[in-house]
Amino acid sequence: MIINTLFRRYPLETILVILFVVLCFAAPGFFTVNNQLNVLRNITMQGIIAFGMTMVIVSGEIDLSVGSGVAFAGCLTAWITELLGGLIGLPLAITIACICAIVALFFVGYMTGKIRQIFNVPTFITTLALLTILFGAANLITGGFPITSFPYWYNFLGSGTIAGVPFPVFIFAAVFALVYFLMNYTKFGRALYAVGGNLEAARLSGINVWRVKCLALGLTGIFTAISGILISSLILSGSASAARGWELDIISAVIIGGTSLFGGKGRIWGTLVGVLFLGIIVNGMTLLNVSEYWQYVVRGGLILGAVLLNQLIERLHEN
Amino acid sequence: MATAIKIDSLRKVYGPTVALDGASHEFEAGQVHALVGKNGSGKSTMVKILNGAVQLTDGAVELFDQQVAFANPAEAMSAGVVTVYQELSLVPGLSVLENVLLGRMPSRRLLGLESINWAEARRQVTSLMEEIGLTLDIDRPVSRLSVGQQQMVEIAKAYSLQPRVLLLDEPTSALAAQEVEMLFALIRRLRDRGVTIIYISHRLAELFEIADSAVVLRDGLLVGSLDMATATNQDLIDLMFGDEAHVAIDRNQESERGAPVLEVRGLTRDGAFADIDFTLHRGEVLGIAGMLGAGRTELMRAIFGADPLDKGEIILDGAAIDKPNPHLMTKLGLGYTPENRKEEGLIQFHPIRANLCMAALDRIAHGHWIHRRRETPHVERQVTDLGIKIGHSEHAVSSLSGGNQQKVVIGNWLNIQPKVMFYDEPSRGVDVNAKRQIFQIIRDKASEGVAALFVSTELEELLDVCDRILVMRNGRLTAELDPLTATIKDLYSASMGTA
Repeated sequence: MIINTLFRRYPLETILVILFVVLCFAAPGFFTVNNQLNVLRNITMQGIIAFGMTMVIVSGEIDLSVGSGVAFAGCLTAWITELLGGLIGLPLAITIACICAIVALFFVGYMTGKIRQIFNVPTFITTLALLTILFGAANLITGGFPITSFPYWYNFLGSGTIAGVPFPVFIFAAVFALVYFLMNYTKFGRALYAVGGNLEAARLSGINVWRVKCLALGLTGIFTAISGILISSLILSGSASAARGWELDIISAVIIGGTSLFGGKGRIWGTLVGVLFLGIIVNGMTLLNVSEYWQYVVRGGLILGAVLLNQLIERLHEN
Repeated sequence: MATAIKIDSLRKVYGPTVALDGASHEFEAGQVHALVGKNGSGKSTMVKILNGAVQLTDGAVELFDQQVAFANPAEAMSAGVVTVYQELSLVPGLSVLENVLLGRMPSRRLLGLESINWAEARRQVTSLMEEIGLTLDIDRPVSRLSVGQQQMVEIAKAYSLQPRVLLLDEPTSALAAQEVEMLFALIRRLRDRGVTIIYISHRLAELFEIADSAVVLRDGLLVGSLDMATATNQDLIDLMFGDEAHVAIDRNQESERGAPVLEVRGLTRDGAFADIDFTLHRGEVLGIAGMLGAGRTELMRAIFGADPLDKGEIILDGAAIDKPNPHLMTKLGLGYTPENRKEEGLIQFHPIRANLCMAALDRIAHGHWIHRRRETPHVERQVTDLGIKIGHSEHAVSSLSGGNQQKVVIGNWLNIQPKVMFYDEPSRGVDVNAKRQIFQIIRDKASEGVAALFVSTELEELLDVCDRILVMRNGRLTAELDPLTATIKDLYSASMGTA
């Protein structure tokens, strides 16, 4: 009875909890502090970007370039560090490198929106092109080999812990909080939903629709850069082959969280649940020794299942 | 002369509304018959009965002396009754040839496969074009034709079905003058080939050029028919409007004109309107009358900044506005309720609350932050003031009736406390009761000082609601009328340009 009501109201959350409980019993070593922290660490890098992606998708656009963006940001950071490290000292060089990566990807995201505005090229196309361009650029920077210019202490960003909790988890939480407030309690957030819900109605209501879309894309660029910096810290190098294929995992998490690809509909909370869901399932399957190939099948099925479930629930609500 | 269509006591009832109340007439074969009447007189219902889109409630239709009752448009088509609607049904990316033969491409077997016989298709369309005297490149994609040429392709397509009766619904509403001429030449050629044509148009002046006879409908009754060779414009208008006297609703009569809030000078948008001058005063409701396509909506959209402008100045509240855009104009206190509220005014699946606060985001926010504390009163005030009937403000706006949706659109704008409101067809798709309420809102807001520009195709509404009426025709302001002294016939004649 209670489960039934819960399921109707919070379908995804309920399934997540059930899955969690089942894995606690079924998967050896799942419910241990170490493993839970491990799950958290694994989901943060993609999760940070998924929060930005939620804004982009709610605004009626998409960003397919984030995977390459992560690699590019990491390589750029490593490269600038290498260039400047000897001249101005590593700490300052790394700071400048990180800022450069963040600014660069903000700019790339923002321009994607501008291209949509001025030339009416769908972001699907522009970011598909960027997926390849940024991957190429990352390889150009590194010359095909990872740049290992970072000092050992830089490793803290990606794999250090504070009070036992991995450092990236704090960033993950901070980005979640930021996007949560942006989407729910600001003019920008309201405009985001309006623009994605009906572009023309939003425009005719005096909303600066392109500024909103460009900002959402730009913010996602920033989050992508942050994720790229964390990854480069984790592997202590700038590698062009990092984060290949992430865009699909990230978009999957957003969709599982109930955000509509048509825009105007979606919640950041749902994306958090989607990210956790994917993270736990992957972790659980690995612990259960499910073959990697089967994991792909299950993850794909999950996306389809989640969307079908959302449709079903919506129909139930209508009746 | 033979009779093409004979209708006998046609009656059509939609729920409680009687759309057609016993219309009888004989349409002579091989002629162009105009079907006229103001909005809601039953013209489109009659067309829909003739082409099988709706079924009659009572009465009988005879097509060339045979009683018919079409269950759907396909049946009517195979009996030789073909309709060309105002909205074009062509596929833009396909060529003229492909559009004309859409779904009926001649085929042949090639290597055992069913394939299109292009040579045969080309032959068919070429001879069709020759027969009706159209000179168009049949390989050109329809998207690269002018609207007038597209309209002719549409008619060619209809003609290829070998119709005995062709129904044309407002074929000229989107056409420029020389295109109208070409269209008329085409219609005459079809008539000379024996096709009976029933032609609906709001443009009375045209009818004298193209129609042989006119059938006039008023309030669901067929009030008479005229031989266009001898009829005068006055005859037509008298038949259309009868002796109905106009009764103005009570409004604040003190009509003391306030200071000017919006002035436009020499406003021009190429292809839409030209040299528009007017001044809108505080507390005034200024109507713009005109037929469909006269440029009314385009004018409002351009002032609001939704479409670009080519020339002219706009002065809002004493400040000249260089390049208007919706964002800027909203900030300056100009509101615009668009004519298609579904597509342009509302986000259908969003809650009523969000739809009421879309334009007023600045007002419900403190800096960048939005507070429910500020938002809730904005929602509640409009729901109460405008009498919006809602279950809960979190329900999707799509759950509301047309009238209530329109009130949400208006409420969205009243939340910015506008100085000027543009109402574009605010009564479209709204029931009579809600219509009254919406007009009352417009008047009430005017008496609070909000200046309004009001556009409606329903001329009675303009007379009811406005303090002053400007008439727009072919993109220009041509007359100004005082609704207290003008009659609906005056307004109609002025809009048609036949005064």
